[in-house]
Amino acid sequence: MSASLSRAVDILKEVIDAPIASYFNSCVHCGLCAEACLFYTESGDPKYTPIHKVEPLRRVYEQEYTLLGRIGKWLGLSKPISDEELGNWRELVYDSCTMCGRCTIVCPVGNDIVYMVRKLREGMAIAGHAPDGVVGATKRTVEIGSPMGVKLPAVKAQIGHIEAETGLTVPLDQEGAEYMVLLSSMEIINFPEYLSAIAKIMKQAGKTWTLCSTAFEATNSGIQIGVSDLAKVIVSRIVEGAERLKVKTVISPECGHAFTAIRWEGPNLIGRPFGFKVKHILEVLDEFRAAGLLKTEGFEEERLTFHDPCQIARRGGVIEPQRNLMRMVSKNFVEMSDPGKYNWCCGGGGGVSANDDAEEIRLIAFKRKKAQLDEVKPDKLVTACANCRIVLEEGLEHYQMDLPVVGLTEMIAEHLVEK
Amino acid sequence: MDAAELLNWVRGPGLQIAIAVFLLGTIWRLIEIYSLGRKPDLAERRHVPGASGWHTLVRRSIPIPGMFQRSTITYVAGYAFHLGLAVVVLLFAPHIKLIQDLIGLTWPALPSQFVDLMAVVTLVAMLVVLIDRIRQPVKRFLSTFEDWLTWAVTFLPVLTGYMAARHLLLPYTLMLSLHILSVELLLVLLPFTKLFHVFTVWPSRWFNGDIQGKKGVAV
Amino acid sequence: MPINNDADFKAALAELDIHQQRRAAAAFVESVLHLCQDMRVSSAIAMVKHPGVGESELASAYQAVNSVRVERFTQCGKEADWRSQAGHFVAKAALSCVRPADESPGNIAWEAAMSARMARTCESVAEGTGTDNHEAETQYRILYDLLNS
Repeated sequence: MSASLSRAVDILKEVIDAPIASYFNSCVHCGLCAEACLFYTESGDPKYTPIHKVEPLRRVYEQEYTLLGRIGKWLGLSKPISDEELGNWRELVYDSCTMCGRCTIVCPVGNDIVYMVRKLREGMAIAGHAPDGVVGATKRTVEIGSPMGVKLPAVKAQIGHIEAETGLTVPLDQEGAEYMVLLSSMEIINFPEYLSAIAKIMKQAGKTWTLCSTAFEATNSGIQIGVSDLAKVIVSRIVEGAERLKVKTVISPECGHAFTAIRWEGPNLIGRPFGFKVKHILEVLDEFRAAGLLKTEGFEEERLTFHDPCQIARRGGVIEPQRNLMRMVSKNFVEMSDPGKYNWCCGGGGGVSANDDAEEIRLIAFKRKKAQLDEVKPDKLVTACANCRIVLEEGLEHYQMDLPVVGLTEMIAEHLVEK
Repeated sequence: MDAAELLNWVRGPGLQIAIAVFLLGTIWRLIEIYSLGRKPDLAERRHVPGASGWHTLVRRSIPIPGMFQRSTITYVAGYAFHLGLAVVVLLFAPHIKLIQDLIGLTWPALPSQFVDLMAVVTLVAMLVVLIDRIRQPVKRFLSTFEDWLTWAVTFLPVLTGYMAARHLLLPYTLMLSLHILSVELLLVLLPFTKLFHVFTVWPSRWFNGDIQGKKGVAV
Repeated sequence: MPINNDADFKAALAELDIHQQRRAAAAFVESVLHLCQDMRVSSAIAMVKHPGVGESELASAYQAVNSVRVERFTQCGKEADWRSQAGHFVAKAALSCVRPADESPGNIAWEAAMSARMARTCESVAEGTGTDNHEAETQYRILYDLLNS
């Protein structure tokens, strides 16, 4: 067994806990998880069955933690995990799983399959079987500060652009501000409108805010590939920045897994609770709305629907805020079938959109989203995750669907009452 | 050994061995699984009514929107045989009497014609489940030897019990012995196969609901 | 009277009719067109400058340019290629030019100007020449020349 493989097995042994043991012993091979997974439903290939994606983890569990399994291993009756096998599993663990979590809410015996995929990725990454694209992203985040190689000068360039466009100041490293705003590289690069929306909204709400020059990046691809050590480095930067600037709340941007990383995994990665709150931008906007701080005018005339990003809604618990905000600026808001926590993934989360090998299956899986949209026939699609936006646009383009996609924060900002 | 001797054996030593293996096996397996423990979660949890492990224990029995249409046979046949088993095992007068002899508890039985009917429903449902496991691509793909074994080991007690109660095929004493023997086989295998989900489904659902509940999502 | 700030610039653009807006937008795009080497974008811009261009031609140009815009997105997690990203914003600016009139386009020239500036920002990030660029002043001059020609 090679060194990296044996390290991988050690990691897998370490991450197996009572819940995982309980899950493996509960699975009755009913196959319902497959019917919840868009990669299976749109391709019809049983290999995409979610519980099958974690088979290597199950074998490690059986051979290391069950008496019968250990006896079997000792007698030479069971096959140990091989490097080749982990290599074969890359496709199932990274190309055709976005960690969307539908399987987890469907399993009748209660298996949290996405939890197991997340843990398996830890072993896969150590064994060298994570996709190159995401490994590169994680390295860049640790070395440069952003997975996409966005350095402070680029952020400053965007700030300059926004300040010129809006006539407002974008504070940087302002100590004592109430809110510290994180951005995702995606927004800095692709959607600069997000930052100008924030500037306008904060101005109207009368709240103090700041960016942090050492921790402007929210994206945490360590979480995606499953390298907790690197994920920890990334979170620590944010914690250090927030505590140094003495902010009350850190705002996670319109990015799916960034919220999961900082809000739900963050304290566990650094081993202590945070000294500040973490909220998603939608939660903050909804609080402003409820407190009467958001003054909007006018309504969107078009028929709108909302795509709930998996990491924010089902996996993040932010489900009502976006609906309240949509209703503030639209009288023609319709829900897709399977809305909110039941929503179907865009198909590109969890590192899949950065993975060239996954492009083909991702576009096939998109048929599920296409079916949802064909049913509700909106004029415009609103969402709150930069990655979802691009994945949706690419999917719509591929299937020749003429449907604009917009971000919710920008849409709210467009309706702000101008003084 | 003639039929009467066999019956005495399965009712006596056989039953004792089976129950001992079942109880000791179950305790061992529960320790083996749950002693692995769980790290505490340091993230600040949300408190949303209805979102907790306890709620999920019950709520997970209800399919989420759309799933029933996608997997109708799985849900219908699955519920049918589970309910059927519960009725046949726990609400049949001779079984209740046995339990009373063993641990002193008793409760009212259902009329035997009704239990008879439920036994047939259970057998039919289990056959549907078997055929579906063979024909449905995902089930077929996932199935191992253990799936067929556990199906047989669950099917046989219901079949032999039904046949004994109706005096079918074999002389009653022999049929009854076979029925009790098949139950003993089930008891012995239960802790060491996927049948153990009888116990683990509850903590699994609880963990699942607890993790999602911390985030404020009721699943 | 020369324009030297964004408030006046935006107001001046808002007063133009749809045809003048398209021409202004096209001129802004032309200033950064070299950052996006794509036939579909350059031919869309060339077409917009024709006085008799019809709605259906604009619609098909819109489709083509949108494809360029979507292709040029940087994927979440991929290393940012700022030069390529500049092309994305050029396409986005061009999209504003060819947006069909019936979709209540609003101030398309302003949008095109902003996207064009973003393209120039991407270029300066790619070259490491810092955060300032003078595209805004270039655009004021372009509008001034257009209004006085």
